[in-house]
Amino acid sequence: MNKLSLEKDELLLRYLDSELNKEDRLQIEAELEASELLRSRLDELKAVNLFLLQKASIESPSKNFTQKVMSGLDAKLTTSFSPRQGLFLLLGTIVASGIALALLSAGVFDAPTGPLVLDSPLKNNWFNIPSISIPFNGKILINGILILNLGLALVLLDRTILKPIFQKRVSAEL
Amino acid sequence: MITPQEEYSLIDKILAGDRQQYSILVDGYKSYAFTIAFKILGNRPEAEEAAQDAFIKAFQYLKNFNRQAKFSTWLYRIVFNTAISYKRKSKQTFQSIENTIVEYSDRADKQMERDDKQLYVGKAMDSLNETDRLAIQLFYIKEFSLEEVAETMGQNMNTLKVRIHRARLRLADELKKILKEEALTL
Repeated sequence: MNKLSLEKDELLLRYLDSELNKEDRLQIEAELEASELLRSRLDELKAVNLFLLQKASIESPSKNFTQKVMSGLDAKLTTSFSPRQGLFLLLGTIVASGIALALLSAGVFDAPTGPLVLDSPLKNNWFNIPSISIPFNGKILINGILILNLGLALVLLDRTILKPIFQKRVSAEL
Repeated sequence: MITPQEEYSLIDKILAGDRQQYSILVDGYKSYAFTIAFKILGNRPEAEEAAQDAFIKAFQYLKNFNRQAKFSTWLYRIVFNTAISYKRKSKQTFQSIENTIVEYSDRADKQMERDDKQLYVGKAMDSLNETDRLAIQLFYIKEFSLEEVAETMGQNMNTLKVRIHRARLRLADELKKILKEEALTL
């Protein structure tokens, strides 16, 4: 059996969808009467049409769908902070890190630091309570704080700037 | 059915802080939203989760809705994107041929010949790529216009029309092939 041209196929689809003007419709109907091949092809397209129409239905979600959505709105509001707040926090973190770095570069913490000595307030002539000595290095402490700040800044950058950008881009692409 | 003017009035109230009004929009569009998610995911619980997630996202981005398109179209686009991202996470495929056979064998009240043809068309649907399958499924839901389907899927309307036409022709070809194969095995 000869295959119909794409043009003829398209014409049959448009006939099925009632998209043809009167003149074209009469012409295709005349061709259908004369050609078994065309009639057979129309039957195939009708079968496909019927199946798809029968399968096309609006599905209903669960009865508490709306309630769940509204609860979800509340959950979102109580747990998340706004992008604006996140941005301020990020800027604050960067500023604090910048200040610490500047102080480190200026050598504020370069002076040798000894242990922290905590004297007991109960010390007197009768009781000799030893002082508590905690080793302390200012430079190490500031470096530790800087690293924590860097970690916090990266998390904030991801949540408040990168994630929304990527989500928007995915939405735009799709 | 909510009119566009009623819709904009609702949106204004929601943006002013009256969150409860959002439930009216949810009630109005939940069925279509769920249908889109279900056509993509093929799984009711997951489709429901995706649709709910989409409504929550729509609420968060409501201030960005520019009113140049219909609210429904804008919402369905969010539903579509959300369902697609769910699908990517779960790496599901569409309903398999085995499930289709089970579904049809349960129906005893249709003529045998018509049942067979529908079974084979169902089989032919598996040969389409996911985009074509979804486009055709949404197109046949009469409540969705071609323009709405195109906007929901982020496609040009004319391109989508051609795509749907070609998919229908491919289905018809597949059906012919399958029927021929069935005839040879008899």
